[in-house]
Amino acid sequence: MSAQRLVIFRGALRTRRTGLLIWALSLAGVCGLYTALYPSMEKVDLEGMLKALPPAMVEALGYDDMSSAAGYVGSAIYGLVGFMLLLVFAIITGGGVLAGEEDRGTLELELTCPVSRRDVYLQRLAALWAQVAVLVVSVLVVTLGLSLSLSLGIEVGVLVRATVQLLLLVGFFASLAYAAGAATGRPGVARGLAAALAVTSYMFNALGPTVGQRWMVSVSPVGWYMADNPLTSAWRPLDTGLLAASSVVVVVIGWLRFSRRDLMA
Amino acid sequence: MSESVIEVSGLVKDYGRFRALHEVQLSVRRGEVFGFIGPNGAGKSTTIKCLLDLLRPTAGVIEVLGTRALAQHPEVRSRIGYLPGELSLAEQQTARMHLEYLAQLRGGAGKDGIERLAARFQLALDRPFRELSRGNRQKVGVVQAFMHQPELLILDEPTSGLDPLLQREFLSLVLEAQRAGATVFISSHILSEVEAIASRVAIIREGRLVTVEDVEALRVKAGQVVTLTFDAPPPLDGFRALAELESLRLEGATLSAVLKGSPDRLLKEAARFRVTHWRAKDRNLEELFMDHYRQPTGATP
Repeated sequence: MSAQRLVIFRGALRTRRTGLLIWALSLAGVCGLYTALYPSMEKVDLEGMLKALPPAMVEALGYDDMSSAAGYVGSAIYGLVGFMLLLVFAIITGGGVLAGEEDRGTLELELTCPVSRRDVYLQRLAALWAQVAVLVVSVLVVTLGLSLSLSLGIEVGVLVRATVQLLLLVGFFASLAYAAGAATGRPGVARGLAAALAVTSYMFNALGPTVGQRWMVSVSPVGWYMADNPLTSAWRPLDTGLLAASSVVVVVIGWLRFSRRDLMA
Repeated sequence: MSESVIEVSGLVKDYGRFRALHEVQLSVRRGEVFGFIGPNGAGKSTTIKCLLDLLRPTAGVIEVLGTRALAQHPEVRSRIGYLPGELSLAEQQTARMHLEYLAQLRGGAGKDGIERLAARFQLALDRPFRELSRGNRQKVGVVQAFMHQPELLILDEPTSGLDPLLQREFLSLVLEAQRAGATVFISSHILSEVEAIASRVAIIREGRLVTVEDVEALRVKAGQVVTLTFDAPPPLDGFRALAELESLRLEGATLSAVLKGSPDRLLKEAARFRVTHWRAKDRNLEELFMDHYRQPTGATP
């Protein structure tokens, strides 16, 4: 029935398409600007400038490899600006697409239509991932396009792989906000939790090596995603697997609660 | 087809340590308009949300349209039309977008009904929800509840926000649905709102069902206030002998009483004297209804 025709999935996307378009364009603009700046920055003695800063700070910011386009795009976009903006979107939207609508009361009629709670949960989750994917792909399209047109020499395969990992990471925090919202019905709590975990996770990855505690990187989802730099670090299949599995775990936990609790209470 | 469309027994709902519903018992028969009356906060919406499987009861059995497990059989909901007590819809979307979305969720059922019902209630379909007044928002709720011609209508405070003209239109819509075979479960905090259309009413107060009665029986119970003015104070013995008269009072030459039952004997007794003025007024069911509320549990007023 409606499950096959994905009515809820399409409905959830339709209500957010304008916002999504604005996000995609803004994100592509910002990432495009950063990438396009690389050739002019090459002329600047970036390495020399960075040497003037305390090494620990450079390392914490992930700016320790600016000598190649891959290093630059990896740290500036995949490791900082694009990555942060995506997380903001993921956490806001993750808390909004189910819990936010329940909180505002706009979910009530849908829940009393001939659809199961499972349909509502899974199709809205899919709509969330689809939105995250659109944005992540917009980052890929811009960086890849500029890399090719400006002959930056970033390997396509590496860029695609890093993009998939970026999707898994951002998708995880989106799923975390979503599942926490589904479990509690409270979008504010869900977003707060996901944001706190994202910040902690980022700090662990950034500061762990500086303070000589590698384990902080090992337990951090951000560490699983990029370690030093998502475009120049070697691929670690285990970490990628951990990222994917984490999403599954939080989605299952969210469902266990959502399927049993009072809705629209 | 089963006789009863809603069958609830021993329904208990706790929120933490607060008990919102105490062993509520309900039986709604196929084809009737059933009023569910109680003041705000009595547990009407809680009961209704349990019927729809939005809330999960602490204890008790709920059977709706023959199924006890709505969660496992969501398709049964295609036979239900529900109007929430507080309707919220995405502000930037138009009424038409909402209604078409709901029709899609119901497998296309009701899509044809949108224009017809919107015209009947003069609902502007293409304006964003945020621009609609409270009454217009309520119309969107009414349209979506009725558009797929469901077997069972569950209406939570449906007339709130509708002006008197639209209220009347709404009540005639309910009666049409009933004539077409639908069962209607309608909640209100004002009895007189449903008195005209309901055949039976349940009264709920502080989470407990106080009574379930035929509206006709309630009306007889409520009685009429009768006032008779004579040219001179009449002797009261004859009136006192009539069991159907209550609260008999004589002020000057004016006799007043509450009549419960046939007026025949009262009229014959009064006709023995010279009546200069008379008045009989149905006692508002509201007054009777208030009696139920005033009674502290277990005590008599």
